[in-house]
Amino acid sequence: MFGLPTTTIVLVGGAFLLIIIALLYWGLTFKETPS
Amino acid sequence: MIDPVAAALVAIYFIAMVGIGIWASKKIHNMSDYVVAGRSLDFWVFTFLMIGSVCSGMSLLGVSGLGYKYAWPTIWEQLAVPLSIAFCIIFFGVKMHAVAKKSGYMTVQDYLAYRFGSDKSLRGMSATAGIIVSMIYLAGQYTAISIVLMWLFGIPHWIALLIGAAIVTLYTVIGGLYAVAWTTLIQGLILILGVLIMAPIVIMAAGGFTHINEVMAAVNPTNVDPWVTGAGAVFTPEYIFSFVLLLTIGLACAPHVINNILSVKNANTFKWAPLVAFGIYAVVMFLLKFSGFAGIVLVNEGVMQLPKVPNASDFVFVYGVQAALPSMFLWGIFAVIVLAAVMSTTDRLMLTIGTYFSWDIYKKILKPDAPDKQVLLVSQISVFAAAAVTLLLAISPPDMLVWLIWAGIGIMFATFAVPMLSGLYWRRATREGALVSMALGLVASLVFGGISYFKLAKLPMHFSFYAFVIAVIAMIVVSLMTKPTSEKILDETMTGWYIQK
Repeated sequence: MFGLPTTTIVLVGGAFLLIIIALLYWGLTFKETPS
Repeated sequence: MIDPVAAALVAIYFIAMVGIGIWASKKIHNMSDYVVAGRSLDFWVFTFLMIGSVCSGMSLLGVSGLGYKYAWPTIWEQLAVPLSIAFCIIFFGVKMHAVAKKSGYMTVQDYLAYRFGSDKSLRGMSATAGIIVSMIYLAGQYTAISIVLMWLFGIPHWIALLIGAAIVTLYTVIGGLYAVAWTTLIQGLILILGVLIMAPIVIMAAGGFTHINEVMAAVNPTNVDPWVTGAGAVFTPEYIFSFVLLLTIGLACAPHVINNILSVKNANTFKWAPLVAFGIYAVVMFLLKFSGFAGIVLVNEGVMQLPKVPNASDFVFVYGVQAALPSMFLWGIFAVIVLAAVMSTTDRLMLTIGTYFSWDIYKKILKPDAPDKQVLLVSQISVFAAAAVTLLLAISPPDMLVWLIWAGIGIMFATFAVPMLSGLYWRRATREGALVSMALGLVASLVFGGISYFKLAKLPMHFSFYAFVIAVIAMIVVSLMTKPTSEKILDETMTGWYIQK
């Protein structure tokens, strides 16, 4: 796909998704502090 | 010939920046206003300030340059650099902001000095290292400003340098962090929109994403692999590991990045800023890298030729835009984009140098009884002095400048990361451990950097990684051998294995 080997797509895409999920989790579990 | 429309675009941009500086100067009443913008930054201004501080002119030109030179194995940079912003906010920001707000810290050194009970030696060493690294970085940024103005208008190097430096110094000196943050918001928007428009044009001119990858694979099959192995390979798995660590943690604790944390108004900003900053900047970084890949095709198919200079790859984005857009007007827009990227880092670096000197060295070490107004004046003078010294460096850049800029991030990583992380998370970390770790990290990064620069030995990983490991060992061994820090200070500085309680 896209002229790229599967390993490249899986590794780079996987790492990107993993970071997004981790940061989403951070946002959802962040404890709000009174302003 | 100077195109009047392109010149007008650049002039409007410059006037707008100075205008923001004048507006911001009215908000400056004391040192806190100048250094941490009165701790008033909200979500978007802070998020863009973080992106703008990390994204420099070097990122813009160097990222595509690295992609052109080493192809897909360099793609990890696109994840590591945006991740550095998230790392800084999550691992340094949340705790440090809470402690700083209570204690009124102006700089990271205020935190280090109190956490490790060392108001002179650790503060002095840390501030001095921060100033030196920032100045090296700054000289490189000025060179980038001059490259863009010379390319567009064909004016001599020193005049280009003087115009760029005068504008950025003016608004930073008068407006402090208020001016830096608000100009960065505008610069960030210009940069993001600019890359979103320009990079796809360059990629399409090279035949589209799939065609680019096919041509790259035909030139060399390893061009599309996630890493390379074997003799002479640079981006090997172990090198990539150290490279990712260097960029993610090294940039996160860089003085001009981490100090932004102290200017945030409300801790709730830290909830979504990591994801938003990562998302926006990752898209920009990927597009820039793909433009570098497009350069391989454009050169290979004879559409463009790079100049015959040692750092030809750094010109790939500029020449790619020139090949894809045959209009001086659009080049003017492109020049503003690059200038925005350069200036968003330059102003933050100058302010960091001014603050470290006036607050950490002048007020906290040399003249503790100096009144606020005097410290503010010293800060403004030091921003001006920093601009003057780095301007001289940039007029006649030393041969080692490019290497020094890279080494700068490595030195920050080896010097600041260990005392910062262990100070925040390890209760057993002591003053002596921090001092030895910082000093050894600095010396070791210079030694391993020298080995790498003079090619005395082949290092399989980035040189800063070895210095980082030495700093970690020094921190653990020396801390365990010395008297623990008092429980009162550890509780006050929220030290422990948690981010939020």
